Amino acid sequence: MQYQSQAVAKPYFIAAIALFVGQILFGLILGLQYVVGDFLFPEIPFNVARMVHTNLLIVWLLFGFMGAAYYMIPEESETELHSPKLALLLFWVFLVAGALTVVGYLAVPYATLAKMTGNELLPTMGREFLEQPTITKIGIVVVMLGFLYNVGMTVLKGRKTTVSVVLMIGLVLLAVLFLFAFYNPHNLVKDKFYWWWVVHLWVEGVWELIMASILAFVLIKITGVDREVVDKWLYVIIALALITGIIGTGHHYYYIGTPTYWLWWGSIFSALEPIPFFMMTVFAFNMVNKRRRNHPNKAATLWALGTAVMAFLGAGVWGFMHTLAPVNFYTHGSQITAAHGHLAFYGAYVMIVLTMISYAMPLMRGRAAANSNKSQVVEMWSFWLMTVSMVFITLFLTGAGILQVWLQRYSEDPQPFMVVQEKIALFYWMREVAGVIFLIGLLLYIASFFVGRNEPEAVAK
Amino acid sequence: MPPSDADPGPPEGQGLAVAAETLYLVNLLLVPGVAFVILLVLYFRHRASAPALALGHLQQTVAASLWAGLLLILVNGLILWLGGYDRASTWMVLLLYFVSCHAALVLLGVVGLARAMAGKPYRYPLIGPRLPTGN
Repeated sequence: MQYQSQAVAKPYFIAAIALFVGQILFGLILGLQYVVGDFLFPEIPFNVARMVHTNLLIVWLLFGFMGAAYYMIPEESETELHSPKLALLLFWVFLVAGALTVVGYLAVPYATLAKMTGNELLPTMGREFLEQPTITKIGIVVVMLGFLYNVGMTVLKGRKTTVSVVLMIGLVLLAVLFLFAFYNPHNLVKDKFYWWWVVHLWVEGVWELIMASILAFVLIKITGVDREVVDKWLYVIIALALITGIIGTGHHYYYIGTPTYWLWWGSIFSALEPIPFFMMTVFAFNMVNKRRRNHPNKAATLWALGTAVMAFLGAGVWGFMHTLAPVNFYTHGSQITAAHGHLAFYGAYVMIVLTMISYAMPLMRGRAAANSNKSQVVEMWSFWLMTVSMVFITLFLTGAGILQVWLQRYSEDPQPFMVVQEKIALFYWMREVAGVIFLIGLLLYIASFFVGRNEPEAVAK
Repeated sequence: MPPSDADPGPPEGQGLAVAAETLYLVNLLLVPGVAFVILLVLYFRHRASAPALALGHLQQTVAASLWAGLLLILVNGLILWLGGYDRASTWMVLLLYFVSCHAALVLLGVVGLARAMAGKPYRYPLIGPRLPTGN
């Protein structure tokens, strides 16, 4: 670790992993509720479990992004962080606010939570992924502003690199687009239209910038490839991500009351969305093949390559599968969407945060470059267990989705939703088994931080 | 005499190797058939004269493209024929198989392209022939 203040990333990463465990536990509860409908009812109803599952994902990824930025920015800027104290203060504010929100979801009915938190003063609650009480949303804005001020000041006083500038653009736009969470028009079409400005433009727009910059940073460090080469790739990737992703928002505007030209705009531009992910895969493999040194942190290299591959599969291939308007007419909101969501989030964002943690954590814990071989072996086992089980989760959900579309929407004699759900229960059971294996992988990942701590550091071969 | 640490330039045949891998991917992703024909033309034109690196990539991509055709067209046709056009299970198996198989073939091409861009040989796992000597 080159700068002392980079250490503020550590609590962010630890919190991210802890919340990740919570997310997966609620995912398993949800998975079981698909087939055992009254499991944990009325203590944890399905809608609450789903809300906690998705909200925890968003919050822990934000923790991961902030941790990554706090680690990367001082090193890229070649200067200490503007205010490590502010970073730690904001960490606790964000963590307490997040924890109170989840407790609120679980402890009281959602309507009561809305009343308790004064939602009627500025109604923003009740929308998928943006269920947080208004007060929490204001807290998120405050934390993001403090965070942007902190990293922004660091960038301004130090060296400016393509990696840090792209990261900053991604983070600033992330904060700006979140402001649309406060816009809650009565018109349902308008509501959905702008709701996607947060949800879609985050994950298929500006988060890709954050992802690409983190990937570039880690690849520069582990391969020793010239920064100029990486910069060129980065320019092309982010340009393509924005060109395709922004108008690609249109694939959410099919058949919801928006003008019909969105059927064309959405189809064409979102069909191009796999291109930046494809480029990222070529980029990652190209950098590793052109590496100038063998870095001893093999686990971080594996995560970096895995991110590129799985993001291409999850966001690119599985997104393309149902992005064209005539296909989406049948598949919208089916288990095919769930399959895509799982693999895309895991491949693009979970894995990039784990890549960063894998690279940075050994350095923050006093290692010169990497963990011991033993620790890395456990970590690589966790990589394969989580990744392969997520692939199976995706395949099972895709199979379920195809059957669902056929039986419920495509056949000449469409069957009711719940009848079809019973017919695809076998897929849900298989998904649950894969989910348990994913949890085992995650527990192994945590174990890798403790295994081989007293053994010597791995050396490059 | 140039200094010893000067950039030696790209390895011989790298351009052709990159072109072969690109055509393999274009065949899978953009213009199936057309790109394969161009790849075949490249192969037959250069197979006797190409440097080892280029020849290796040309042979690999031609073989992998043939396998891709077999795996994507013939096997899918077989699934459709055996399962029946009007059955949900047929389409479930077919779509899962097609997407997984196609994505796997594309990813192999990506690795091949990255290797070609780095001036290194690449053998497609399971479907690639042995690399020519010199690689």
